Amino acid sequence: MTRIFWGIGRKLGSAALSLAILITLTFVLVHVAPGSPVYQILGPKASPASIRELNHALGLDLPFWQQYFRWWFDLAHARLGYSYSVQRPVGSLILSYELNTLALQIISLVASLLIAFALGLAHGVHYDRTLGRVIGGLELALYALPSFFSGTLLILFFSMRLGWFPAGGLENLRLAHQTIASNALHMALPCVTIVLLTVPALSRYFAQSVHEELGRDYVRSAAARGASPSRILVHHVIRNAMRPLVTVLGLSLPSIFAGGVVVETVFAYPGLGWLLWRSALAQDYPVLIGIVLVIGILTVLGNLLADIANTLLDPRAAYA
Amino acid sequence: MLDETRSLDATRADLPVRIGASSILARLLRLSGGNATLTTGLVIAALILLASSIGPVLYGRDPFALHTASVLAAPDGRYPFGTDDLGRNAFARLLVAGRSTLYVALPATLVAFTVGTLYGLASGLGPRLLDQALMRLLDAVLALPGLVVLIFFGAIVPLNTGSLILLLGLISWPSLARLVRNETLAQRDRDFVHASRQLGGGLAHIAGTHLLRVMAPVLVVNFTFLVGDMIFALSALSFLGLGVQPPHTSWGGLLQEGLDLVALDAWWLIVPPGLMIFAAMLATSLIGQGLLARGGTR
Repeated sequence: MTRIFWGIGRKLGSAALSLAILITLTFVLVHVAPGSPVYQILGPKASPASIRELNHALGLDLPFWQQYFRWWFDLAHARLGYSYSVQRPVGSLILSYELNTLALQIISLVASLLIAFALGLAHGVHYDRTLGRVIGGLELALYALPSFFSGTLLILFFSMRLGWFPAGGLENLRLAHQTIASNALHMALPCVTIVLLTVPALSRYFAQSVHEELGRDYVRSAAARGASPSRILVHHVIRNAMRPLVTVLGLSLPSIFAGGVVVETVFAYPGLGWLLWRSALAQDYPVLIGIVLVIGILTVLGNLLADIANTLLDPRAAYA
Repeated sequence: MLDETRSLDATRADLPVRIGASSILARLLRLSGGNATLTTGLVIAALILLASSIGPVLYGRDPFALHTASVLAAPDGRYPFGTDDLGRNAFARLLVAGRSTLYVALPATLVAFTVGTLYGLASGLGPRLLDQALMRLLDAVLALPGLVVLIFFGAIVPLNTGSLILLLGLISWPSLARLVRNETLAQRDRDFVHASRQLGGGLAHIAGTHLLRVMAPVLVVNFTFLVGDMIFALSALSFLGLGVQPPHTSWGGLLQEGLDLVALDAWWLIVPPGLMIFAAMLATSLIGQGLLARGGTR
């Protein structure tokens, strides 16, 4: 038991270290980035006096190390600065877009998991037979299909030719005049695109672990004791094959928080990825840096949770 | 090596010698060790490389000429892939787009491959403290999705061929570095490494002569996957307007133009560039899988 605590403690320590490095890197990037925020805010016609005044107000005339500590202080108080382009605090801006992203990503993730489970199970059970090979080929082809192509094709057919779904134009999921039905219509195509993107890797991974588990000794001994194939599959194999999926889910967290930048851009879906893209085109550094930091912090925390869950599920992982 | 020659002989015996096109196919199959996945991947990759390198010369039409009389023309005999909203020949543009995509993606792969391999070797062979430091740094870098970092830097640096190569190359190495480091840790205590050290071999000699050779199969497979990742990353960046800049164009940029005109139902501006990216990624993935399957028989 102490071993497990030590293992978790070490993982906490290394997560904290990763975060510190990430925050330091972001600080350095802010200062390496060309163009001063003062110039961005005041424009090219600012007088030297007002530039000096704003520099002082923002603390940009302080020595480097003092600014570094102020950066930590501000972060600890969840102050991420103001957006240059839309004049809103970065924190609240990110939060409102992140909620849209999470709604889309969670729905897509549940759908992806269900489909990947069914597809991966069929693939794993029929691994070297025709059905397995067909599914394997399908996974390989889908894996090579970039989301900006599949998304554009979906718009071309389902929005333009058939007119079933809107091609974009959602402002915010939580506006009063948005009904659930209209939200669902707007989210359908982005959702399908994300499912097409995530299913191949997940189901291939699941298929491989099902295939591996099926070859293990406990399966043979269960069969020798007279357990039916379906009982072996449900009670033994699936349970064991599911465990690596926890790790894969942990690894896919960054893309969940970031939202498919590409998918959100294709469908003009107002999520964090779309905000990142807009801010990049507008060179809105505070928002860019805020998004990078938020995604990084959530990812490190998510990986930590996945690690701890794995340690508790399988104590051997504490030694790794 | 021995195993490779054996599998080569086996397929040579299996394949009856035929004439014409099928004998070329048979030769290709033999070259790829009788592995259909690998052969398909190699054929697609060769076609893409040919189309992008000598394609523009062979086709010989100006990709920048504005044919104002036939704007947004559907594919016909004169314009095999139609024209865009400015009346430019879409097929000619597709060929030069392939050229500029590969011009950036292939050198960027080399950069990422070199950095990743050196970083992994240094981490695996260096002192424990260095290993810990390098791996923590890697964790921090890997905490962010690659595309997010690419967009971040794409907004900061001026975009041209050189900066794009460096940007893509310097951001895509971490997963390879971790792989090389783990491989190095697994191999560094083997007898031949100890023997080499006893004979006075330095770290650089051990890394360059012994470890790289042992890891060669893994490295080749991952190089292939890296090419695919790079083509995808560049296409996504260009699609978002942060990649190859006008007047040059790339597959991702063409697809973006197609999406802008999607309301006009100009499918011929969407399907060809999308299919090229799809084919390129499929080819690298097939080659990688094929190589893996071939290595797996050992």
